[in-house]
Parts: sequence; structure tokens; C-alpha cells
Amino acid sequence: MNAVKVAQPFISRWGLWLMRVWIAWAVLVQITPAGPRAPLDAPQTVQTVHPVVCVHTRLIDEVYEWVIQRSLQMVREMGADTIVEFFPWAYAEPAPGQYNWEGFDRIAKHARNQGLHVIARMGFVPAWARPKETERQTTLNYLPDESIDEFARFVAAFAARYAGVMDQIIIWNEPNLSFEWGYQQVDPAGYARLLKAVYAPAHAANPAVMILGAPLAPTLEPSGSPNGLDDLLYLEALYQAGAVPYFDALAMHTYGFTEPPEAPPGPQTLNFRRAELLHNIMLRYDRPDKPVYITETGWNDHPRWTKAVRPSLRVAYTIQAFEWAEQEWSWVDKLCVWAFRYPAATRSYPDNFTLVTPDLQRKPIYSAIQAYARGWERSTDLWLPAPIAP
Amino acid sequence: MATRPYRAVAAALLLGLTLWVWALAGALFALRWNSIERPNPPLRALFPYGEMRIGVDASYPPFAAAGNDGLYGLDIDLGTIIAAQLGAPVRFVNMGYDGLYDSLKADQVDVLISALLIDYSRTDEVFYSIPYYNAGLTLVVPSDSPIHGMSDLSGLSLAYEFGSDADLQARQWLRRVAPFTPRPYELPTLALDAARIGDSSAALVDATSARLYLRQHQDWNTSLIPTSDALYALAVRTDHGLTLEALNRELEKLLGDGTVAALIAKWL
Repeated sequence: MNAVKVAQPFISRWGLWLMRVWIAWAVLVQITPAGPRAPLDAPQTVQTVHPVVCVHTRLIDEVYEWVIQRSLQMVREMGADTIVEFFPWAYAEPAPGQYNWEGFDRIAKHARNQGLHVIARMGFVPAWARPKETERQTTLNYLPDESIDEFARFVAAFAARYAGVMDQIIIWNEPNLSFEWGYQQVDPAGYARLLKAVYAPAHAANPAVMILGAPLAPTLEPSGSPNGLDDLLYLEALYQAGAVPYFDALAMHTYGFTEPPEAPPGPQTLNFRRAELLHNIMLRYDRPDKPVYITETGWNDHPRWTKAVRPSLRVAYTIQAFEWAEQEWSWVDKLCVWAFRYPAATRSYPDNFTLVTPDLQRKPIYSAIQAYARGWERSTDLWLPAPIAP
Repeated sequence: MATRPYRAVAAALLLGLTLWVWALAGALFALRWNSIERPNPPLRALFPYGEMRIGVDASYPPFAAAGNDGLYGLDIDLGTIIAAQLGAPVRFVNMGYDGLYDSLKADQVDVLISALLIDYSRTDEVFYSIPYYNAGLTLVVPSDSPIHGMSDLSGLSLAYEFGSDADLQARQWLRRVAPFTPRPYELPTLALDAARIGDSSAALVDATSARLYLRQHQDWNTSLIPTSDALYALAVRTDHGLTLEALNRELEKLLGDGTVAALIAKWL
């Protein structure tokens, strides 16, 4: 019998399947919609008749660049010419001396494109600059003494890179609270040492830089409390620790809580005009023309939080606060509302400090601030009168 | 020759029967295993400091608030009952909301009971218990109303609080369904008043506001139709799995025997 010779196929059975999978993959890649892009448009300028209006953004944890761009467009459209934004050390220096500026760059780029000034707030200690977790559990706010110079080097690198773009830098946040001070006893002298360590390197890196003393949390915590220290006592202690030459301006946080903006201040009262008490301390120790930036202010309209007001009052108080700052506080440069938007809902009352939702839906307070900042006619009938039973 | 298919069928049946018996045995074993009451691990295994340290933001009545006699509220009662069931002394640590999760991370407290909404973005750091309360938005309508959901509102009117979450949700629905008349009021109670006296077809408010209002207006027959979820739960660190198990076990008992419902009825 003659053996029948069967021709071998040019492509094996497995090769055929491989080719089919590859074609399917290529087709899927082609039909998958491209991710949203955020190309820069022509440079914009902010239209405002009230330049005191400013807002604190939360863009650094935003995943999508187009959301950063859209948020900043909305800030511009609202009529705020300045934002305050957090630039965490831990994000940009994952290993000593190795910088990753990508996240910071995209915020700076879009802010500049929208014609916005940026006040940068610094903090958050990378793991490598804190004790090892096996030795001690610490939070991102814990800055050991031996890492202060590393932090100062980072601030200088930041100041050099963003010279002309971000020339105002806030060092730390609310150091009069224990949890903001890494769950240690708060230490005004320690914070003064931090300012001193940062000041000269930052100015050497960018002579135009303005170092802002950290805003203090409005609190009545007495001396020795494990939670923190009264902001008035802390600021006094900071001055007594010799911090005057190491900050060019002071940042402040002042919240209205349940009181209207014109409510009188008092050492045992937390309200909007508490900023005046802080300023009085400044006048005692510092040059009278040292600028003040109120980098967080506002009212909360959560339905249940005891320190909140109704949304209707929140709108009224916020606009009155801008008017108060413009008419009464010549020493205040900017009044920045906390907060424009959170990248994700906190799912508690902090969400009720924002002006727009995480999905960029405008809240009525956004429209009210916009009407004020842009000089538009303001709506007077935002809600209906109380219903009356027939 | 005819016996071969018979043998194959018999073997398949035998195999099936064997698998079925094993599955049944497994199911019965699982049922029995889960029904056994096991003692909780030693107290120190659950709470290394010998007490149940509960982090709470007592600025949020009726869940937690501070009065002259200390802390009070639904969360305080719930924490006290769970601690008693676990045989642990309880200590509430009052702090601001901002510090709650950090205090858990820094081992300042063992558990958070503070009207905490389950936040999926935090599940790499904390375990949440089973939920004990839903604070989401709810439609409040007269019990004989034809409205059974937001999509039934077309052509009707909806009362809500100006600037609230309900305001946002109402505006979202206006883009989805044929128009209804939005009726914003200064307060959620005014929105509920409008629905009660017939000025509006329905009111959209959060479940807690609705419950507190209906306590004051028990003669008004209503239907509550949830339109969104906002689930409250306890939180522990992810390295405290045993604690979570124990808390869940006790919480399940309290949900099952009506204790949680009674607490909700007491405070809301």
C-alpha cells in the first residue's frame, strides 16, 4: 500500500486560534472609546468684581485630569481668582531625593490656563521620613525632628520648580491640633523650629516666595489638653518662641459655625470674627502690615450636625462674610471658602461644606457666590414661603 | 454486549448519588457548625487594652451628643449594649469627625460608632460591620397616594429643602423624567408640612428628618419610599478581624431580637 501524503497546513491549528484572538483584541482596542482628555484651551482670565473671593480646592486626589480642568473652569466661572490647594510631600517624594511632580504639574498647568493664582499648602510626611511601622505606628502628620531638614529641602525644591506659578506656600496645617501634629502634644516652639528650618532654603530657591505661617484650627482646648491648644494661646506662644522672622504672612482658618458673620468675637467664642482676635495678637508682636490670608472659612448646612445652619442661612452668611471682609478687614487679602469640591463624598457632614458635588453638580451656594463675585443681580426668592394650612 | 451501556449508566448514577450524599452531608455540617453558640474570644483578644474604646463624634444628635450628664444618643446606647454583651468595660472617646479614622489608625480607639456611613474607598484600612440604620433620602407621601417612586412624580409637585441633598436629587430627576413642579422650602419640616396639608404631592427628605417629623404628626397616614441608601455601620481596623466578627455577631443578635429597632424608635 502506498502511504498517502497529507499536506500540512501552513498555519497550525493553535496558530489559527492565536490569530483569531489577536484580531478580536485589535478590534476591541479600536472600538473602545478613548479616555477623556484635557487639552489646554486658550489662556483665560477671571472676571470678578470682588477679588477677595477665593476657594480652597481638593484636586490632588483627583484621578481624572479632565475633572481637575473642569473644576478649575468652574472656579473661574464662579469669579474666584485664587485657590488654595494641598501639595503633599508624601506624594511627590516617594523615596529620598526622587521627585515625581506629575500630579502637582497638572494642577499648576490647568490653574495657570484658567488664570488662577495658587496658594500651596504643604504637609504629609512620606513613610521613609517617619519611624518604621514595626517600631511605632504613626500617621502622615508625624514629622520627626530628624526629618525636618528633609522637609525643608522638599519645600525648597517645590519653591524652585514652581517659582512664578506658586509663590505662596503654607507650611503645615492646624499644628495646634494633636492629630494634625502626628498625635503628639502640640508644640508651638517645635512649629517655630519647623518654620525656621524651611524659611531660608525656600527663599534661596525662589526669592519671590512668600512663606505663610500655618493656619490654626479654631478651638478652645485648654493648655495641656491631649487634643490640642486654643488657637489664641498657640499663636501667642508661637510668637514668644521667636517665629516672627520666619513667616512672611499668616494663614488663618475662621468658621462661622452657627453664628452670623457680624457676631462679636470673644476668647471663649468660636465664630467668624475670631480672626480679629488672632490679628490683634499679630499686631502686638509683628509688623502691622504683615498680610493675612484666610485660607478656610464658611458655614456648613448639614441637616443634623450641631455646628451647622440651614442651607438658606449658609448662603446668606457666606455672602455677608465676603462683604464684612471687604468693608472691615483691610488686613485680609483673600477669604477662601472651604471647600470647592471633594474628589469623593466623605458621606458625613464635611460634604456639606462644599460648593459642588463630587460629580460637579452646582449647589445653590455656588450660584449665590458666583452672582456676588461677578456682580450679577442676586436672586431674592430662592425658596417658597412656609405653607399655610387651609 | 448489552451490559456495557447499563454499566456506564449505573456508574454515573452511583457517582451522582455519592456526590449528592457528600453535598448533603456538607450542607448539614455547615448548618450545624453555624448554629453552635461559640464563646467570644478572650476580652484581651478583642480589645487589647481590656476595655472597648469607642470613638464617637458627639456633635450629631440624636445619634451622639454631649450633655451635662455626659454623652447620649442612639450610638451611645448601641455601644453600651454591645460592650455589655461582650463583657467589656466601655469608654467613649469624644472627638471631631475629622479625627475619627485617624484615631482608629493610631490605635487611640478600638471601634468607631458614630453614625458612620459605609465608605467603600476606606475599605483598605477599615472593616465595616453590618449596617444598623439607613439614613438615605425618602419620599414621604400620603398612604393613598398614586406615587410609588420618583418616576411617578411627572405632572405633580415635589417639596424639599432648599440646598439639601434632596434638592440635588430632585434636580437630577428633573433631567430624567417628564417635568414635575419643584417646590423648595427653607426647612425639611416645611417641605413635610407642604406634603401633609396638600400643597405638594410628596416631600423628599432624609429618613431621619422624616422619622422625627412623623413622631410629631402621628395622625398623618403616610408611606415612606426610600430613594437612596445611606447605611450606618461600626468600623474597626482591618487587622482586628476577630473584633469585627464579635461585633457583627452581637449586632446580628440586636437586629434580630428587635433591640436596634427599639433604639431607633426611642431616639427617632
